[in-house]
Amino acid sequence: MTFEITLSDEVLALSARRSYIELNARARALQLLDDGTFHELLGPFDRVESPWLPMQGIVTQSDDGCVVAKGKIDGQPAVVIAMEGKFQGGSIGEVCGMKMAEAFRLARLDNEKGIPTRAVLSLESGGVRLQEANMGELVIAEIYAEMVALRKHTPLIVVITGPTGCFGGMSLAAGLASYVVMTRQARLSMNGPEVIELEAGKDEFVAADKPFVWSVNGGAQRFATDFADVLLEDDADAVTQAVTELFRKGQPAQLRTDKYELFIKRLKFLDPAKQWVAEDIRNAWKAVAK
Amino acid sequence: MDVATSEVAGARSWSTRREGKQRRMALVSPWMNGKFLPQKKIVEALETLLVPGDRVVIESVQKQADFLSRSLAKVNPKKIHDLKAVIWAIARPDHMEIFEQGIASEVDFSFAGPQSLRLAQMLEDGQIKVNSINTYVELSARMFVDLIPNAVLVCADMADREGNLYTGANTEDTPSMVEAAAFRDGIVIVQVNQIVDKLPRVDIPGGWIDVIVEGDRPYAKEPIQTRDPKDIKELQILTAMMVIRGVYERHQVTSLNHGVGFDTAAIELLLPTYGGKLGLKGKICRNWILNPQPTLIPAIESGWVESVHSFGNEDGMEKYVAARPDIYFTGPDGSLRSNRVFCQLAGHYAVDLFAGSTLQIDAEGNSSTVTKGRIAGFGGAPNLGSDARGRRHPSAAWLSLITSDDAIVRGRKLCVQVVETFKAGGVPLFVETLDAVQVGKDAKLPIAPVMIYGDDVSHVATEEGIAYLYKADGMEERRAAVAAIAGVTKVGLKSTAKQVKALREKGVVAYPEDLGVRRSDANRSLLSARSMKDLVTWSGGLYEPPARFRSW
Repeated sequence: MTFEITLSDEVLALSARRSYIELNARARALQLLDDGTFHELLGPFDRVESPWLPMQGIVTQSDDGCVVAKGKIDGQPAVVIAMEGKFQGGSIGEVCGMKMAEAFRLARLDNEKGIPTRAVLSLESGGVRLQEANMGELVIAEIYAEMVALRKHTPLIVVITGPTGCFGGMSLAAGLASYVVMTRQARLSMNGPEVIELEAGKDEFVAADKPFVWSVNGGAQRFATDFADVLLEDDADAVTQAVTELFRKGQPAQLRTDKYELFIKRLKFLDPAKQWVAEDIRNAWKAVAK
Repeated sequence: MDVATSEVAGARSWSTRREGKQRRMALVSPWMNGKFLPQKKIVEALETLLVPGDRVVIESVQKQADFLSRSLAKVNPKKIHDLKAVIWAIARPDHMEIFEQGIASEVDFSFAGPQSLRLAQMLEDGQIKVNSINTYVELSARMFVDLIPNAVLVCADMADREGNLYTGANTEDTPSMVEAAAFRDGIVIVQVNQIVDKLPRVDIPGGWIDVIVEGDRPYAKEPIQTRDPKDIKELQILTAMMVIRGVYERHQVTSLNHGVGFDTAAIELLLPTYGGKLGLKGKICRNWILNPQPTLIPAIESGWVESVHSFGNEDGMEKYVAARPDIYFTGPDGSLRSNRVFCQLAGHYAVDLFAGSTLQIDAEGNSSTVTKGRIAGFGGAPNLGSDARGRRHPSAAWLSLITSDDAIVRGRKLCVQVVETFKAGGVPLFVETLDAVQVGKDAKLPIAPVMIYGDDVSHVATEEGIAYLYKADGMEERRAAVAAIAGVTKVGLKSTAKQVKALREKGVVAYPEDLGVRRSDANRSLLSARSMKDLVTWSGGLYEPPARFRSW
């Protein structure tokens, strides 16, 4: 007996969709840049690796978990910096952090020279690399400074799709971006769930309770509370399209970092004596819209 | 002569068990309302119904009679001690407390996943006596021979006013446990989640039940076979591609069972995509022995699967199963009917292939999940993963393993071990000697706790390739075949290029290129679902993953 199998539109769409989350850092840079324009700077064959990891018995990676590629987006010069979440949890060490800071600096110099160069930062990061934390923290400061300098010339877009998400120092980098693009699977927060649970206890935060964790720092909540500007399905082409459209739109009317008074007002609206849930935060944000 | 016989007959009562049961039941009857015991009386009732030395079955595999086991741990050890426990899976801390307090002193069990370390320590300290490690179905069988219970502590979803039970999707072993006690004057004690006027269906008749008590919370249960596709790695995808081509397609495997793990979940998720491209739909993987694993949803939705019979339930699959009665075994009420004994029997005699993972394989292909310091047991794998020498019905796959031209030959079940050469943390899976050998000695077990014996394993598949062990001539060639696919483990490094070449030419070993599998094709985009959310989409929103698998 044979049956006619009819798959739903959702399943067909799922089957046709190419995942961005599944792409490694290099493939993400390729995906974001116009076809045939990808040109990697300090690629794996330049073998600029972490000098600190071997001292601690850890195998290095030839790109130190950070891919920097020049090329074009929508026909315009662009640089894409993509972090590899699978190498040391996407942690920021001296080399990968410096590659990032330097790429922003070169992009700024190009802009100052009259070559309008755009920048996209695709993040998968657990924060600073503990094995080289001092260097990492220093270089993260340089990254912030370069991001602030660069965004005077061009929109700076951060893409966070998961699976690792974006934590620690890089969560502040996301805050500096002109636009943040997220998927539902992505998470964005300063402290990771396990750290909060460890420091504040299970009454405050249960790291194993995934629906709870995502309700706090997942893409949907971040989008609803003004920390992300675009919320996407996990679709590689949709990410490229969103990035292209944001560049066409140009710089937002007000950068997120310039809205600090609004965020402070919203925080003041919440009673710190009470245990908040995701819904409370959404409501507070809605209540204080301006 | 006549006088002598009549004297003996007169002296002996032939119904001591029945009288004993009646006596014990009479002691608790003042507390009972029919078959129903008030919740707060349970500890006292257990102290009254049991006597030291009783053999007691405590239900615990996927679903656990945890209210009863927690209550048993509270009885006075001065009153009740030295029970002989029979536990399918020692899964709970309260199981261990029962032994620590001396309420029970001996155990016959099958699996001890989370408690395996503590069990080994208690054994060393002499707090527990392990009579035997069994397979699940061995315990079921032995309940009718040498492990006949005086009492069984089981659980059910619902009871009606007459005491009939609804065990629904999580039926598992309850009917067989109840049967072993009810028909030999053992006492059947059931914890239920709910007492209702009308059951969705009757799974166990009320006449077999003695005591029903409402649990303080719904019984504990574990979705032990559910795997999140997001954690499937590319090496596992490569191996899965080879297994589909080099085993399922080559041997025309239509009926099968998959073990627990990501290695086999990868195969399930590749059927609609990779399997579809190879034109294998309808030719392989039609009839399954498997829990309602969510990773099979894409294959079902794409029309690969004709039937699935299940050992137990997987949480969250209830609505999907109810909407697919052509595929699953369900009652007229729509809910799954699982039954471990029948499913194990089917896995042993009716399916052509078992594919599953393990924690260690030695140079000869023996495998075990018992590793240093842990007495983990095996569950159902030894039965599912062994040839059924009592089988007589032929099938293309079963016949395809015949390697001799003799007039009298038998076919063979395919037992496929699907593993990575190294486990997480760089621990080699292939070892010279199984840890089980030392663990067995330390625990003074009469034999080493081997899960699947090498001579039952027909194929071993790793990311390096497939060893067709059933084709190997003699132990030396078997060892060489295992080494050829054991990668850079110590076992694998013994392999030489010359040996490998000869084995590949003879077809005893196949590497990806021998099977037409391109290594570079093995990536996660080949999976029909890459996340729990994708599985929900495939199910049309019917699958409702438990919280720990959800990020939304």
